Amino acid sequence: MQNKDGPQADGELEAATSNPTPDFDDWAKFGDDDIMQQQTAIRAEEAEKAPFVGDKEPLSSLAAEYQSGSPILLEKIKVLGEKYAAIRRTRGDGNCFFRSFMFSYLEHILESQDRAEVDRAKSNVEQCRKTLQSLGYADFTFEDFFALFLEQLESVLQGNGTSISQEELLLRSRDQSISDYVVMFFRFVTSGEIRKRSEFFEPFIMGLTNATVEQFCKSSVEPMGEESDHVHITALSDALGVPIRVVYLDRSSCDSAGVSVNHHDFIPAVGGLPNASGSTETVSPFITLLYRPGHYDILYSK
Amino acid sequence: MQASRARLFKEYKEVQREKTADPDIQLACDDSNIFKWTALIKGPSETPYEGGVFQLAFAVPEQYPLQPPQVRFLTKIFHPNVHFKTGEICLDILKNAWSPAWTLQSVCRAIIALMAHPEPDSPLNCDSGNLLRSGDIRGFQSMAKMYTRLAAMPKKG
Repeated sequence: MQNKDGPQADGELEAATSNPTPDFDDWAKFGDDDIMQQQTAIRAEEAEKAPFVGDKEPLSSLAAEYQSGSPILLEKIKVLGEKYAAIRRTRGDGNCFFRSFMFSYLEHILESQDRAEVDRAKSNVEQCRKTLQSLGYADFTFEDFFALFLEQLESVLQGNGTSISQEELLLRSRDQSISDYVVMFFRFVTSGEIRKRSEFFEPFIMGLTNATVEQFCKSSVEPMGEESDHVHITALSDALGVPIRVVYLDRSSCDSAGVSVNHHDFIPAVGGLPNASGSTETVSPFITLLYRPGHYDILYSK
Repeated sequence: MQASRARLFKEYKEVQREKTADPDIQLACDDSNIFKWTALIKGPSETPYEGGVFQLAFAVPEQYPLQPPQVRFLTKIFHPNVHFKTGEICLDILKNAWSPAWTLQSVCRAIIALMAHPEPDSPLNCDSGNLLRSGDIRGFQSMAKMYTRLAAMPKKG
């Protein structure tokens, strides 16, 4: 049985030894707020170790990480090296999937200057806005996040007054006031999609947790720092109409000779694609993420 | 800072517009500081808090709405999830389950729901939690009712 007497009693003891006239109220305030403060401090410490979005590194840096580790992983990284050239790491703060998606998507637009894709994405974003409204979300709770994402989307297209460079994109992705807002935008979009198609997502969610769709969205999608699973990825990919490839790097192996690296392509449901040309030709995702249990980074093809 | 101010201003307008929508909640912003709010909430019916009016204090951080507001009871209340001395509230949406989809208004609604459905297994007020956990509903209710009378009801005559 746990209650809060234990830690409080300890706190009193400490206060009494360090302060000859302990003020009861001082340590009585010790509680969740302090824990939150400590959490913030830990996050700040993590932040110094790794930016939200790192620099592009050659794949060899991944191998270096496992130098004295599992031979299966080293073997798999070698296989990865046949297809992929580089990795870009993201901070492991529970937002890594959304953050990786954000950078990868915006970088793709910046490099391809694919205006048609931007227009298509924008119309999907408008659809997401309507979804949230019809689910009863007050506009003011999400509109700032939508506006900030659309602003980023517009700015990676060259030729308008607000165009930005690759360096600027990286700076913005590392700037908490922009980066976290875009992550939150994706969380709103993901939550809206899951709730809109709750009968589709329900069995997957039941398999993951034990929660209802509503509870799942409230506790595992909308709060910042909650990690993503295939449910989130499916929903985001469907909602925005953007295919995503996830390459899995784990220790699983089949006993037959030679290792292979599994991947899974999340291809948006056609029903969710207003502009789908009706074709079922193989869509090849331009976003590739590397999944290691508990974390997503960005992968670059050769 | 700018973003939080803009968001709070929107919430302020919404509160003004919907003033009569929820008669159980009166939310007001400090005249000179949009980061400080207070609320008066009615104790839910069929609970020991019925008939009481409870005052809450909101301190909104600069990172709002990415970070939750800090909320405390200013009115003394006997409830397992409210610290008896400080008024601190143990509620997941004010901690790690917070998201910007919540508003100051919906936080008030969540607190009213918490008053009606205490969670004795994560107590900030152990005396209150222990009464409930040991099944002494009557003891809990009479204590809670007494404090509602003492602290949350206007003094008669």
